[in-house]
Parts: sequence; structure tokens; C-alpha cells
Amino acid sequence: MRWWQIRERDADLDRELQSDLDLEEEEQREQGASSEEAHYAARRAFGNMALIREQTHEAWGWAPIERCGQDLLYALRSARRTPLLSTIAILALALGIGLNAGVFTLLNSLFLQPPTLKAPASFVQVYPRYTGWFMREDQYSAFTSEDYDAIRSRSNALKDVAAWQASSAVLEEGNKPSATLLVTCNYFHVFGIDRPLIGRFFASADCSRGSAAQVAVLSESTWTTDFGSDPHILGETIHLNGSPFQVIGIIRSDAANFLPGGIFVPYTMEPLLDHSRDLLNSPDTPWLTVTGRLRPEFSRTYALAELSAIMSQQDRAYARREISAFDRKTTLVLTNGSFIENPAIRNRVVAMMAFVLGPLTLILLLACCNVTMLFLSRTVTRRGEIAVRLALGARRGQLARMLLMESLLTAAIGGALSILLVQHVPLLIMNTVDARQAKFVLLIHPDWRVFGYLAVLVIAATIVSSLMPIRATWKLDLLTALKGRESAATVRSRTTRGLIVVQIALGFVLVCAAVMFSRLPSLIMSMNPGFDIHHTMAVPVAVDTSSANHASALTFYRTLESRILAIPGVQSLAYASLGPFRQVPPTEIRLPGQATGQGKPVSVDDISSDFFSTFGIPLIKGRSFNSADPTVPNADSVAVVSQAFAKEFWPAGDPLGKSIITSDNRRLIVVGVAADTESETFGVTDGPRLYTLRDVSALSGRLYVHFAGDPKPIENAVRGAVKALDRTQIIAPETIWESLEADAEQMRSLAGIVLIMASIGVLMAVVGVYGVLSFAVSQRAREFGIKIVLGANRGTIFRSVTLQAVRNTIFGLLCGAALAEPAMWALARFLSVSPLPLRGLGPFVLGVSAFLLAAVSLAATWLPALRATRADPMQALRAE
Amino acid sequence: MSSMTKQAQQRANLLQGTLDMLILRTLLYGPAHGHQIGKHIQRTTNDFLQTQHGSLYPALHRLERRGWVTSKWETAPDRNREFKYYRLTEKGKKQLVVEESQWKQMAEAVARVMWPTAEES
Repeated sequence: MRWWQIRERDADLDRELQSDLDLEEEEQREQGASSEEAHYAARRAFGNMALIREQTHEAWGWAPIERCGQDLLYALRSARRTPLLSTIAILALALGIGLNAGVFTLLNSLFLQPPTLKAPASFVQVYPRYTGWFMREDQYSAFTSEDYDAIRSRSNALKDVAAWQASSAVLEEGNKPSATLLVTCNYFHVFGIDRPLIGRFFASADCSRGSAAQVAVLSESTWTTDFGSDPHILGETIHLNGSPFQVIGIIRSDAANFLPGGIFVPYTMEPLLDHSRDLLNSPDTPWLTVTGRLRPEFSRTYALAELSAIMSQQDRAYARREISAFDRKTTLVLTNGSFIENPAIRNRVVAMMAFVLGPLTLILLLACCNVTMLFLSRTVTRRGEIAVRLALGARRGQLARMLLMESLLTAAIGGALSILLVQHVPLLIMNTVDARQAKFVLLIHPDWRVFGYLAVLVIAATIVSSLMPIRATWKLDLLTALKGRESAATVRSRTTRGLIVVQIALGFVLVCAAVMFSRLPSLIMSMNPGFDIHHTMAVPVAVDTSSANHASALTFYRTLESRILAIPGVQSLAYASLGPFRQVPPTEIRLPGQATGQGKPVSVDDISSDFFSTFGIPLIKGRSFNSADPTVPNADSVAVVSQAFAKEFWPAGDPLGKSIITSDNRRLIVVGVAADTESETFGVTDGPRLYTLRDVSALSGRLYVHFAGDPKPIENAVRGAVKALDRTQIIAPETIWESLEADAEQMRSLAGIVLIMASIGVLMAVVGVYGVLSFAVSQRAREFGIKIVLGANRGTIFRSVTLQAVRNTIFGLLCGAALAEPAMWALARFLSVSPLPLRGLGPFVLGVSAFLLAAVSLAATWLPALRATRADPMQALRAE
Repeated sequence: MSSMTKQAQQRANLLQGTLDMLILRTLLYGPAHGHQIGKHIQRTTNDFLQTQHGSLYPALHRLERRGWVTSKWETAPDRNREFKYYRLTEKGKKQLVVEESQWKQMAEAVARVMWPTAEES
């Protein structure tokens, strides 16, 4: 028998019992009893029909499911009896669950899913790590062109091997940087994309070295945004970094989980896109990410062993050819290609997911608090009913199961409703954070992970929100409840107090996050880094700096310098090796007499002589560089240090005239002290900084221009000057301020999202506090009535209610601070590489958040407290 | 839970196996419906064992679930009415043998304690 046949079986049982009952009745009549007597005698002989039926049901073995069904039915009925309450509970949970699951869907698509949609099990991505080479040993890197060739030609386990490298090229038609992917010609095939939307993909001839074709495939979104979905795009020529490319195809947006680029070109085009280096033909520069497809008969483990063997052959060959002073040793990791499996960023991804989902969990918890409160009040009003059930022999476990079923029903409906949110939240967030992200086509399609997460949320919400009502039922005192006497013990004030504290604490954490994030844009915009950001302009140029091209590159720079200086309004120009607001790895600087390793970490900026005037950094002591200072590399020379440097190395003495030793063993004599700047992290004074004089014939460094007046005409003039010299240069000069504005803009939209989420959380907290207090006040109505009878005036009662609420609020705020502070420190540590000014909460954020939350929670207290004063003494006395 | 209900439950457990055996034995004579089975047990034991309907029907359904009996609505030969007749299956017959031997062992064991025979005493 199956459980869905229960109804049928039940009818059958009824019929059986009835026929036997009739028979019994007949027999009784045959023995001479009157028909009425026979009727009752038969029933007596049978006993309790309901009990027989019940026990027979047990014998069928489906009783637990039947009981759950009954509970569910009962839950449905009681939910229908209180529609408003149930609707609020369902909506609160739908919001809480929906926000969580929606954001999880986004994270899932971004980080957890493998990139390919077709047979993800056979897709592998290979990450190498080199020991003994020039890069940090714990860092995962990419492959050199030669390594890729070796893997492609020698691997048996991998059927197809593709390689790619993300880069940014300026699309002249769109006049902006565009995410460009350099790919091998089987890239689309390996990613499981077989057919283009229109046109064709690369043929293998397009990638042949030496005679590669200048062709490009566009993503559907690039085609739409930059070319207005031009149907005649095929065969048209577009310009990337000044070089012409012929468009041969369009790739569908939904062809893969995410396409990391908007424009795809053969990887052999790399030297054409980047004039300053030639990665393709460099024997020792790793640049390609390698992905492949396993042959069906091979496992991942086998592939790893095979690829490792190939790479150690490569390592030996590399050492034999003595290409570099370092000998490398390669270890490999094979993954399914998802971000979370990328060993280089796995920890960061996990931490980021925790930081994003953590606050959202708080919102869900707040929703659960609200639902708890609603259920709790329902349990209390149903106290009589529950007491009767207990008296009739229901076990408390059964009652708990019934309550659990009620909250499961609410959570399940809420979860089902939340799917609406899940569908819309990810795209909403993507569009708000960065409209340009639309270029990174992201396919949001929920998979088992999303539904699993949703199920976990629903179950967690069920359990959390039914804990308190179950406890209340468990503690129910049968006698008082049956007598209908309300006693203060039914719902303890500890419970309501706990709920208020929890909600205030959770709300506080969210408000802190919101306040902190909304401050970021203004912090970025209002800061004064110690140099002139409004009148200093970066001029990014890409020049081939290889030794063969050295002379012409130098001529290019000299001519450019003279033309820029000739622009009216331009005052000076300078080169610097460090860009503002970029984190720089420090180098070791020693004092004379110190051995290597005894020195201190210092940021070294290699600058040209006009640097200080160009950036407007004042000199505190001594002089700046002048033309007489020696600039020959590796020779002893002079240096300017920052105040922090001077304080670090010579806390008491005068730094002028002192010498220092650089990491390449040059001896430098300090001739000047420059003012400290805040150029690494927003709002933080830089650590020790050393300025060295740039070799005049050097080609490295970024070019900066200082000007007076309005930036726009100068920007255009500089752009024109560069273009006139080299048509292939694609530049967009902008002042440091303008680049900051872009950062701030992005921060502002992020802050907007955080603000919306926090507002939802705070709203829930306030509604929750209001609900708890109203409930507590209605519970104590009789107490207030008696107090008034005994002579308390309404002011006293108002004060006592408000005072208690204030006490709980303060306690909640303290708990929240204890929760928020460590979380913020963890976040700050996690973001320590970014230049954002996130360092703990600080008194300002804490203060503002506490004030905000205290204000709204007091507002929520007002109404219940007022209601408490309206307690009717007559009513109270009559009830006594 | 009171100790009385507990005792009642224990007795039910003890008798449950016996009742199953009695039902199976009754059905060995041929198909019968619930009322007949109950009455038969009552009559043969001279009203000593009054089968409660409360335990008879759950027992019947339990036996059916285990596949020892099958049931079918059939018209009674002497009346123009349908009853639910229970029939012993092959599996049920085997089970009866097992239960019978178990019961015999049990009865012998109890008897040896209660009424020790001459050679032992």
C-alpha cells in the first residue's frame, strides 16, 4: 500500500467495520433483543470505533506521515484564521530569504559555477606555481607561450587545449577601454560554444604565428552597446589600440556561464595590442591561462600527473638554455575553472562571500525575530486551546511538532514567494554596481546549489522562528492556563527583553555597515592627499621599450615633452615610477654598515627632477633634484626622502647629508626632505618614502603634466599632441581628481545597495521592536490597571515602560557594537590591499549608527508605552 | 504516563504475537471475515478469550501488510451481502508453523518452571 491510497483504504476500513457491526447487531437481535437494544449492545461490544480506526491506521505503517499531514492541514486552517498575521510573517520571511538567495544566486554564477555550460565535468583549468623563479613562490601564475605549446603538443589526457589572456584594449569606435580577450583559435570550442550568433569563429589559420589574421569576434553585448546591433557588422573594420581588425563573428551572450571579454582576438595579436612588450615571443614571461577538455577515458588525476611530467621536462629544458638567472620548478593545480577553485584567489573569494552573505543573514535573522514574535503572540492567545489539548492527553512533543509545522508552512510559502526576488535581485545588483559590467556577460541561472541554499534557508528560518513559541508551549502551566488566568509567567519578560536586545543588536550591525559605506564616497572626494590632484594629469602612453627601439622611443618622448610643454596652460611635466593610490611592494633600504635583511621596508619612487613642482609637494628641508645631480644607473647619487622616512631612519638627527644604501647597493646622500603625502591609501599618511632621480635616458615611468586652469581643453590638447606623434596611441588623459571621481561613483552605487539592504534590516528591527513591546504591554494590561487603581499616575507607567525599553536598547546597542567591531576589523584586514579608508568603525560611525538606531527604536516604543497608560482600571478589577 | 497504561501496553505486546497466531490458525479452516474470526476464537475457547475488536482489526491489517493474509470483498454464501474475507497465503501458512513451534517451546518452558515433573524434583 502506498500512502496516497490512505483515503481509499480508510473508506474500505469503514465499510468493513460497518458490515461487522451490522452483523453483530443482527446476532443480538436474533438473541431476542429489541432493535434499539441490539444497536447499543453491538456498539458496546465493538468498543471505541475511533480508537479501532486509529490503531488500524497505525498498523498500516504510515501514521507519522498521516500525522504530519494532519498538522499541516491544521496549520493551514489556523493560518487562514489569522490572515493578516500570516501575511506579514510570510512577507517578512520572503524578503529575508529572497535577498539572501538572490545574492547567493549572483555569487554562485560569479564564483561557484564552472564557466562552461557544456559537459563541465570534462573541463579543466590549469594553474602553475613556480619555485625558484623571479616571482613570489606562493603565487599562482600563468604559462609562457612555450609551455602552452608543450602542453598542447604532448598531452594525451587533454583532447583540446586552449589558452587565453584577459587584457584591456581601447576600442576606438567606442572611444573607451574595452575588455579584450586574447584567445587561441580553439577557445570557443573548448568552452563548449559551437555556433556563433552570426558569422564565424576563428579558424586555426587565424592563429598561426607570423601570418596571423587581424580578425575579431565580438560579444553580443559589445555588438549591441557599441555598434547598435548593426546587422552589417561582419567584414567591417574596427580599431583596437590603433590597429585595424576585421569583425568575423558575434558570440551569443548566453553561450557560456560568463564570458570574460567583450572582444575576442587571436592570441598571436598580442604584440600588436601592446606596443611596449612582446609576451608571445618572450621565452620567460608567463601570460597564458591554459584550459582544456579531458578525453573521456582519462581522469583529472591522470591529467595532473601527465601535465606535471610535461612541465618538469620544460623546467629542465629551460635550465639548459640558461634563459634566466633563475631556475624554476613548476607545480600544477587542476580545477574545474570556477573562481572558487582558482588557488590564487580561493581564500579571498571565500572571505568575500562570507562578508557579503554575513550581513544578509542578519536580515534573515531579523525576519525570523519578527515571525517569532507573531507566532509567540499567537501561541499566547491560543493558550486556552493548547491547555485543553494537553488536558485531553496530547503530548508536548506533539504540540511542538504542530507548531514546527506551522512555521514550516510559513517559511515554505515565504521561500516560494522569494523566488520572485531571486529572479530579479542579481541583475538589479549587477546593473547598480557597474553598468559597464553588462559587458561581462553573466548568465544567471539557478542550479542545485541555489535551490539547496534556499532549502537550507527555509529550514533554518523554520527552526529559528519556532524555537520561542515551542518553548512557551513547553513551559505552559496547565492549571493556570485552564483556569484562563493570565499570569506573568506565560511569556516571560526575559523572552521579550531578549528579542528586543537581539533585534537592536542585529539592526545596529547593519546600520554601522550602511553608515560606513555611505561615508566612503565623500571621504574619497573630500580628502587632501598632500599633492595637487586637480591640476595634475596622467598621460598614459604605450611605447615599445625594447632595446632595438630604444632610440626612436627616446625621440618620441623628447618630442612629446616639448609639444606638451608648448601647450598654453601647461606648467611642467614629470615622470614617476609609482602611480597615486596604487599599492606598491616596498623595497629594503639600509643604513651604511647594515647587512642585507637589517634594513627597513620603504616605497621607492623613481622620479624626474620636476616631480615636486608638478605634483605640488612642498619641500620641508634642503633642496630638490637639479640638473647637476648624477643620474647614471647603479652609481652613487643623491636622494630626497619623505618626512616619515627621516623620522623612521634618524628619529632625532638631521637627515641632510646622511647616506643610505639601496637594495641594489647604491649609496645615496640625502639632500632634501619632502612633505608626507597620502598617496597609497585614502586618508592615511604614507609610510617611509624615498625619491630617487630617474635616469634621463630611461623609458620607464608614468608621465604627469601640471597645468593651470580648466582641465578639459588641456586634456584635449595633450591628446592631440600624442595622436599627432603616433596615430596608434589611444589615450584618455585625465586628472587624478577625475579618476578618483570614477572610483567614488562606483563606491556610491555600492553604498546605495548596502543602504537599501540596511534599511530593510532596520525597518524589520523597528517593526520587530514595536511588535514585541505592543505584545508585552498587552500582556501586562491588567498589571497596569491594578497599578492605576493603587494610585500610580499615567506618567509613572509611561516612564516605566519607556525606561525599560531604553535599557534594553542600550544593552542591544552594546551587544551590536561587540558584534560589529570584530567584523569590521576582519573586513578591514581583508581589504587591506585596497586604498579604501576602511579601518575599523571609529567613534563617528559607531556614534551616528547608535544615535540613528536609538532614535527609531524610541519612536517604536512611543505607541506601546502610550497604550500602556490607557489601561482601564475598571476592566482590570472586573477581571480580578 | 500512568503505570496502568504502561502495564496494559505490556500485556498487549505479550498477547499480540498470540493473537496473530490465533488468527492465522482460524484461517486455516478457510476464508473468514473479521466478525467470524472474532466469534470463532471466542467460541472455541469457551468465551475464555474475548477478542477485543480494538486489537482484532489492527492485527488483521498488520498481517495483511506482512503478506500473511490477503483480503477480498465477497458475497457470503448464506446471505445476500458482501463481507471482507481474509484468506491465508502460503507465506502465512509457513509463519503459522513457525509461530506454533515457538509457542510450544514457550509453553513447555513455562510449564517446566510451574509444574516440575517427578524425575526433576
